[in-house]
Amino acid sequence: MLSQKYLKLPKFNYWLVSSLLISTIVCIPIIVISTSFFGELSGYYELLKDTYLYLYILNTLGLLIGVLIFTFIFGVGSAYLVSFYKFPGSSFFTWALILSFAVPGYIYAYSLTAFFEYFGNLYSILKFIFGDGNYNDYIPRIDSLFGSILSISFSLYVYVYLITRACFIYQSQSQIDAGKNMGFSDYQIFKRILLPSARPGIVAGLSLVAMECVSDFGTVAFFNVQSLTTAIYDSWIIYDDINTAYQLSFFLIFFILVFFTFERKSRGRSRFSIPSRGYLTIQKKVLKGKIKWLAFSLLMILFFLSFIFPVSQMLFWIIKFPSNFNLPQIVDLTINTLQLVVLTTVILISLSFVTNYGMRITESKFLSVITNFSVSGYAIPGIILAVTLLSFISFVSDYFGNENLKLIFIGTIFGLIIAYCVRFYSLAINGIKTGYEKLNKSLDDVSYLMGNSKLGTFVEVHFPFLKKNLILISMLVSIDILKELPLTLILRPYNFDTFATQAYIFASQDMLEFTATPSLFLIFFASLIILTSRKNILKGF
Amino acid sequence: MENYLEIKDLSFSIKNELILNDISFNIKNQGDIVCILGPSGIGKTTILRSIAGLREIDKGAVILNNKILTDKNNFIEPEDRNIALSFQENALFPHYTVEENIKFGIKRSLFCSKNKNGPLKYSMDELLDLFFIPELKNKYPHEISAGQSQRVCLVRSIIHNPDLLLLDEPFSNLDQNLKEKVQENLKEIIKTCKITTIIVTHDKYEAFYLGDYCGILLNKKIVQFDSPYNIHHIPNSQDVVKFFNRGVLVPATVQSHDTLYNEDLGQIKGKLIKNFQSGEKVNLLIQPEDLEHDDSSNLKFQVIDKKFRGTSFIYTLKTPSDLKIPVFVHSHHEHLHHEDEKFGLKTPIYIDHLVCF
Repeated sequence: MLSQKYLKLPKFNYWLVSSLLISTIVCIPIIVISTSFFGELSGYYELLKDTYLYLYILNTLGLLIGVLIFTFIFGVGSAYLVSFYKFPGSSFFTWALILSFAVPGYIYAYSLTAFFEYFGNLYSILKFIFGDGNYNDYIPRIDSLFGSILSISFSLYVYVYLITRACFIYQSQSQIDAGKNMGFSDYQIFKRILLPSARPGIVAGLSLVAMECVSDFGTVAFFNVQSLTTAIYDSWIIYDDINTAYQLSFFLIFFILVFFTFERKSRGRSRFSIPSRGYLTIQKKVLKGKIKWLAFSLLMILFFLSFIFPVSQMLFWIIKFPSNFNLPQIVDLTINTLQLVVLTTVILISLSFVTNYGMRITESKFLSVITNFSVSGYAIPGIILAVTLLSFISFVSDYFGNENLKLIFIGTIFGLIIAYCVRFYSLAINGIKTGYEKLNKSLDDVSYLMGNSKLGTFVEVHFPFLKKNLILISMLVSIDILKELPLTLILRPYNFDTFATQAYIFASQDMLEFTATPSLFLIFFASLIILTSRKNILKGF
Repeated sequence: MENYLEIKDLSFSIKNELILNDISFNIKNQGDIVCILGPSGIGKTTILRSIAGLREIDKGAVILNNKILTDKNNFIEPEDRNIALSFQENALFPHYTVEENIKFGIKRSLFCSKNKNGPLKYSMDELLDLFFIPELKNKYPHEISAGQSQRVCLVRSIIHNPDLLLLDEPFSNLDQNLKEKVQENLKEIIKTCKITTIIVTHDKYEAFYLGDYCGILLNKKIVQFDSPYNIHHIPNSQDVVKFFNRGVLVPATVQSHDTLYNEDLGQIKGKLIKNFQSGEKVNLLIQPEDLEHDDSSNLKFQVIDKKFRGTSFIYTLKTPSDLKIPVFVHSHHEHLHHEDEKFGLKTPIYIDHLVCF
């Protein structure tokens, strides 16, 4: 028998405790929803089941399939062009296409509606050019399901673009040369070599799109599409039936878990597709003649539609209705939004650092398992997260007869930040984890042997190494918080608005032109973040 | 006199599987070099990591310069040991240049209270010159080759003038020519600065050149700890013979305290390393350099293989009882023997060390 290991006594594990705490909070929504699905069925749910439930599910599926098709075409097509070819503007488009990430689906929806509605902007343009006429009959109505698909696709294709591009540029030139040597044309090389080897990345990107798409609330609510998210919102807010909200959430979570599992599996495989050494950098082919202008035009149209179009629509409104620009309100919104962004980002990044560092130095499998479980928070749509956190806090405070709990968590900035942390924990922790995976563990040992303590190693070795990851993750989290709508809408303090909620409130009151200022400021701050960290974003994926 | 380093009964296991069992050896003098030899995956690196304090061990003790680093009741953290370890894999900080990486080591030698030795006698530039990498200072690790990284790691480990230097396969990525030059310079630095060193390797020539002592790690234990000469000529077990894969065991009968008899080779004279009774049956180790070639000898065997090793040929001879005996011949020897030819052995046979099992 071997003797017990006695040379290092186990110490109190702060990392383990903090991760456990975070995971517990994240687990609450999943547990609440899973148990309530098998609970008592309300009359409203029975009614839904017989009437609209299948419509909700069908609409959600339709939305999903449409968005997946569009994001695949936009994302893979643009990634292919900028990765393998040189043409006018190719370097510009490489980063400029990311800007559409700054435009949330619901703001895109406002622009679409304003442009194509009766006597909308398209009508005005036609009238300006051709004079009076009955143009309304010829202008297509882009709204409802198709409008939602377009809006969401333009705001989400960046995920597919970024991950696919990363897969493309990590491919070795020798693969392409081998293809040419076998007599393949450019198209055959793309179809038979490049596309299959980038498949894990494409699937990963599409899975992210799928998760975001089925949990979208702002766009479908604006277009009145009867989807699962709007039904959850309605059953809770309008019919005050929280049980039905949970039961509908179960379907949504099911959808999302399928994609989540899919995404993780494909990510797992993609790790092996990126070689670390010994590969030839891609030699970009210089396009000539008409082809180069065709490539330019395609990406210009994409860039125009996904970014310039919504921005110019908002700018147009501000110019047309300058009186809508309310400076004190904008100052308030800016302060509110930025304080949420900064506070949450700092807290979230610190928490993720603690957990990642803990996993690295303790090498605890238990910690690794619970952390993996806690990252599923990203798969829970904001709306469900809000509903379950609220009812959980109500339940706990009623159970202990302590109303103070409600005062601390419900309708406060503190409660909102906790909810954001749960929602975006996965993004932060995985981002830092990716950085840590590139830092060989023997480097920690070298640092210890050079006389550095664990904290010293963190400060002198880990932090400088992870700085770039840190910036990237902070930026991504900040943009997501800027754009986050349902969570903020439900959990925000009374009379406290962000750019996103203010724009939504105006839109829901049919005061579309008033959405311009908050929307434009939202896009402005998100674009600013993207522009300052574009190199990190392009390298980080 | 006390030993400078004592490793006592060090045991280590993973998931209840014993990897190292009661490893013990001492280094007597400061500045001595010990080489641990053993096949890959046997746990050589684990010994180094345990001594450095990077591995939790099941039991045992590590005592350096009369200070207990690890035992049942004590554990000094790696950062407080003043031990340098040069890892086999590339362990340079990727976000620092070569110079900044090395300065990590210098900082310790100058400012760390745990280091009482002060700075090394050699400057960074001198060390970079001695390891043939003077031009790399401003490069990042990804811009240099694996062999260059290994030498930078060596410089970084040595420059903080540690109490104990641990080197894990330090020359594995160097070509033969460069390896020999780097080894010569490393030995000179270690001996000049009296840095006690343990080197882990699977290259016995490296171990024999650098080591004052060698330890052979087989079957979870140090099975022999001795001078390189004795390790080579007087292996203490058949396992060690098998590990070096050099020489052959032939059956023989002990005739007296200095004579053995083999039915193919006849009488073999020499000094028996262990005592055996007359008439006892033993297995005698014959290494290529033990037998001498003689063209005029009557004791002749058939050549079945010939290996050219530059300075020598190693002929394999087949005896009537089907033994395959290796014989070393200087490559300038005037008669080349081809396969299937007869090859003479000088008689009477005399071997300095009669190693029998």
